[in-house]
Amino acid sequence: MQGFGTDEIAALFARLADVFAAEKEALIALDGKVGDSDLGLTMAKGFGAAHDAVAAMETPTPEAQLKTAGAALARAAPSTMGTLMATGLLRGSAAVSGAERLETAEMAAFWSAFRDGVAHRGRAQVGDKTVLDVLHPIAETMQAQAREGASLDAALDRARVAAEQALEDTKDLVAQHGKAAAFQEKTRGIQDAGSTVAVILIRTMAECAAD
Amino acid sequence: MKKFVNDPENFVDEMLDGIYRAHPEVTHAGDDLRCFVRSKQVPGKVGLVTGGGSGHLPLFLGYVGENMLDGAGVGGVFQSPSSEQILEVTRHVDQGAGVLYLYGNYTGDLMNFDMAGELADLEGIKTATVVGRDDVASSVPGEEHKRRGVAGIFFLYKAAGAAAARMMPLEEVARIAEKASARTRTIGVALSPCIVPEVGKPGFEIGENEMEIGMGIHGEPGISRDALAPADEVVDRMIERILAEQDYTQDKEVAVLVNGLGATPLEELYILYRRTAQRLEAAGAQIRHTFIGEFATSMEMAGASISVLQLDSELEPLIAAGGDTPFFKKLAN
Repeated sequence: MQGFGTDEIAALFARLADVFAAEKEALIALDGKVGDSDLGLTMAKGFGAAHDAVAAMETPTPEAQLKTAGAALARAAPSTMGTLMATGLLRGSAAVSGAERLETAEMAAFWSAFRDGVAHRGRAQVGDKTVLDVLHPIAETMQAQAREGASLDAALDRARVAAEQALEDTKDLVAQHGKAAAFQEKTRGIQDAGSTVAVILIRTMAECAAD
Repeated sequence: MKKFVNDPENFVDEMLDGIYRAHPEVTHAGDDLRCFVRSKQVPGKVGLVTGGGSGHLPLFLGYVGENMLDGAGVGGVFQSPSSEQILEVTRHVDQGAGVLYLYGNYTGDLMNFDMAGELADLEGIKTATVVGRDDVASSVPGEEHKRRGVAGIFFLYKAAGAAAARMMPLEEVARIAEKASARTRTIGVALSPCIVPEVGKPGFEIGENEMEIGMGIHGEPGISRDALAPADEVVDRMIERILAEQDYTQDKEVAVLVNGLGATPLEELYILYRRTAQRLEAAGAQIRHTFIGEFATSMEMAGASISVLQLDSELEPLIAAGGDTPFFKKLAN
């Protein structure tokens, strides 16, 4: 595949809106274990709004699409995870400024900026049982794949595998942030809800690239 | 729970409806009642925006008014306002000179204000941020940046509000707010818990004969849980924490705020102030400005906090300046 141009990015957000709508109940159930159960609702709402905003753009560029999606998500999903994902998209958009198509190198830059933005805004570190524990391996895998000159679909698929493994690993961690932190040891053994969102993102992106 | 409420879910919006009906000098930006702004903005002035959870009146929105703040994002009880609400307030109060965000150091508020600032930047509105972090009980010296913002944020509002009213530029207003923040210390004591209306019962208990020094304004654990002592002794134990961090050899003048947390009578606040003044004077401080009453509450929590701002020649006239908001009125002195 020849990277993500504006058509592919528009298709990605359409697909994300569908996927988060379909995963709504599963995310609500997951978040309800140690959070306040609003994750499924806010993600479905947020990515629905991001899709609508991107679809309505008349003269899109990848940077503008990602920025528009981020701003729409921030407005529609003013929860912690909505704000973090919005920040990731906004920072990621700045990292691909000027690019007409997102190849492996651009996509690696996008995910690194996404991760750094989330870490900065959430004031969290890798290992705190947050979405960062999945975003970090995604960004690192994409950077490694870019250095090796891998094609975008291959790179995204490797990143998906790394993310799914990282999600599995979060079960062994103890939450340090947000409402889940109040549960501390009780969070051990439970899959982190926010990290699940990041896996859905990279999985959907990899699926788009494979089509 | 014994409260005047209708549906607890409407607690915040019905409170706001009441405030708007009582005070035409404030209104909401757009349709959302929680985007609280002055009815008339001052052209060319730096906009000052605060925000935070409800349940602390007159904090936060109570300081929106003349010579003070221009807008506030209003969250649910003990919850941050959303970045979208803060952004809406930001758009409304920006008069071309930029907007200063001034709020307490809490994770949710930090995230949402930062997000709002980033979105405002995309729209060409310049923002700066200063957080209140005056609660000495919430982190040890050397880790001041981790401290929570409590009643002492009033001094930041007062100083920054007067500076902005003098048409100082954003960088200067931010510098002054930061200076006030760095020179303010607060310590609190709680005698009874508070109840979030939607929860309906206290989240923690304080025994009949107990007090908790250092408890936060959302019931965050304090430094020590002890048997309630005579008022002077309570002040002595509290003020030590502030005296340990302020040296009055050079800058002697201070502003003092003795704040009630919601259920403590003014009489008791003056008894606390009496000892506070004695101790400050004994330590070499000269009390230049005194504020006593409810400035930052925690619903029906019984208790009080003591805040001390160490003044200098720049901050003193800004604290002395007048101010006029629905909840705070002061003549210039």
